[in-house]
Amino acid sequence: MSDLEVQIDGVPVAPARGWRFEIVDPARGIGRLVNGLASMPVIVEGGASDWVVTIRGRRISVTVRSWRERMLAGADTAAAARAGPVAVRATLPGLILSVAASVGDAVEDGATLLTIEAMKMQNDVRAPRSGRVIEVSVHPGQTVATGAPLIRLE
Amino acid sequence: MPPFARLLIANRGEIAIRVIRACRELGISPISVHSDADVDALHVQMADSSERIGPPSPRDSYLSIEAIIDAARRSGADAIHPGYGFLSESPDFARAVEAAGLVFIGPPPETLESLGNKLAARRGAQAAGVPIVPGTTVALGDDSHELAGIGYPLMLKASAGGGGRGMRRVDSPGALADALVAARREALAAFGDGTVYAERLLAPVRHIEVQLLGDRHGRLAVLGERDCSIQRRHQKLVEESPSPAVNPGTRAALFESARRVAASVDFHNAATVEFLLDADNNHYFLEMNTRLQVEHGVTELVTGLDLVAWQIRIAAGEPLADAVLNLAGRGHAIEVRLYAEDPYDDFRPSAGRITAWRMPAGPGVRVDAGVSADTDLRTEYDPLLAKLMVYADDRPSAMDRLRRALDETLIGGVQTDAGFLRWLVDDASFVGGSYDTGLIGERWGTDHALDSELGALAATVALAARTMAETGRVRAPGSNRAGSAWGEVARREALRR
Repeated sequence: MSDLEVQIDGVPVAPARGWRFEIVDPARGIGRLVNGLASMPVIVEGGASDWVVTIRGRRISVTVRSWRERMLAGADTAAAARAGPVAVRATLPGLILSVAASVGDAVEDGATLLTIEAMKMQNDVRAPRSGRVIEVSVHPGQTVATGAPLIRLE
Repeated sequence: MPPFARLLIANRGEIAIRVIRACRELGISPISVHSDADVDALHVQMADSSERIGPPSPRDSYLSIEAIIDAARRSGADAIHPGYGFLSESPDFARAVEAAGLVFIGPPPETLESLGNKLAARRGAQAAGVPIVPGTTVALGDDSHELAGIGYPLMLKASAGGGGRGMRRVDSPGALADALVAARREALAAFGDGTVYAERLLAPVRHIEVQLLGDRHGRLAVLGERDCSIQRRHQKLVEESPSPAVNPGTRAALFESARRVAASVDFHNAATVEFLLDADNNHYFLEMNTRLQVEHGVTELVTGLDLVAWQIRIAAGEPLADAVLNLAGRGHAIEVRLYAEDPYDDFRPSAGRITAWRMPAGPGVRVDAGVSADTDLRTEYDPLLAKLMVYADDRPSAMDRLRRALDETLIGGVQTDAGFLRWLVDDASFVGGSYDTGLIGERWGTDHALDSELGALAATVALAARTMAETGRVRAPGSNRAGSAWGEVARREALRR
């Protein structure tokens, strides 16, 4: 087990010194972090290498990988980078209100591509990186499900 | 004798459950309605029976007047409670309920019509001698000269608006033309009416509302104020009563203005009159809502009244009791709203399945929840999960209680605003009571990079979780749920030690 490495947002993170994790409600993933007399409740979800830990109300995605898994993941990422175009997908189901991007547009990282109404609110969908719009798959008034492809960037 | 035999609740989630509880205590048989997404919902389980009203989309279910009137007929209901949101402020719905020979737990359709027009409501308040937020009292044309006297920044608002929708801030005359077009378009899309008006953007300011009950006999009870200044996207997150900003003189003035506004309105229901309060204790009328408010529980805690039961009794023609008319609140109550929203990402809504759900309890704690563990949160509906309310003798004790209650709260599976709320109860301006509507923007802000301490703690947990899961996988019974598979193993490991 000693070759397990923990990463958050792609950055290796060392476990906190002095803190120990105990499980309280296994069925629900409720546990606590203990350090001497101090303790705090936490929730943990997930399995294998992908975990989500909720501490002080904040959900934190954590990757725990062995050396072998890191090598395999590295190969995947390299392959994805070579593939070039990136698809922007809906993270929430909702109604497309407006589409700001058109095919051929050069967009900056973080630029608003379109607006989706979900949960009675308007949410801007932004470019995950800068690039050129090569496909717009949706139009205003259309309803989309989670994961639906919206726009492709090159 | 119960006021009604069977009452249909045209809503879902926590507010449907709240009405079910009032029905039970009054001896009324509660009937719920559900879309196909809500077949297993808590509000359906708790009612005596439930009627299907259509597919998940609110437009075809909870907003379908026809489907709900049908459901009421099928179930033999003699009254309908609309809750808040959905059809609660629809004059057409109130009219349809009456046309079907049923009692609408709410105001007459004409009242909903006239108050739904925010511009008309502004004129009404002004005519009643109540100060309104400086701005226009007629629909805006395309001429920006009419706004010259208001001053910038100003706020464009939809006359048919509500709930923070169709509002747009304008900081300078140059930005007005574009904002006007956008506000009209937004208002037209959201409410089918593109009429907009302008109000001066007052800041710093607090949002204070006065709770009323009015009966069919012209009696009016003024049940104290609530401070609703902590908002994101012009929507409330926290409410407390009494307001730490309101002194006895200001309170008397607010109550007097609320009475004046209410005097010209036939509403026989629960209602609120909303005001802005500036730093010099001047108050300005915002709007009047003649329905149950999300935050009604705060007033229930300090008055001991059941506002929902009173809505039903008033609808049945019962006069308000003398004791209600002369009620003075005691102690202090605070409500925080638990939303499926990400406070670390601009309070964006989140969705998913609730894997863990532990709500606080104990002295002075009330939780009105519409979900529980294993509920699937649908994005079609409001992301409100639960309202956590605390009550104590005074504000500092209520604050301690709220801190304790939030520490007991655990929600897994979806990102909620619980972490923000826990931060808030340690924030100096909230604890000190000096906050205003700018608190979230100014003090919580938008920079929420994960700090290294929290990251290290998360690393400790994930590493231990994976190790526990792997050590036990050999002996563990199979399970589809990752959480339970490794968790079961972990417990066995612990027992062996």
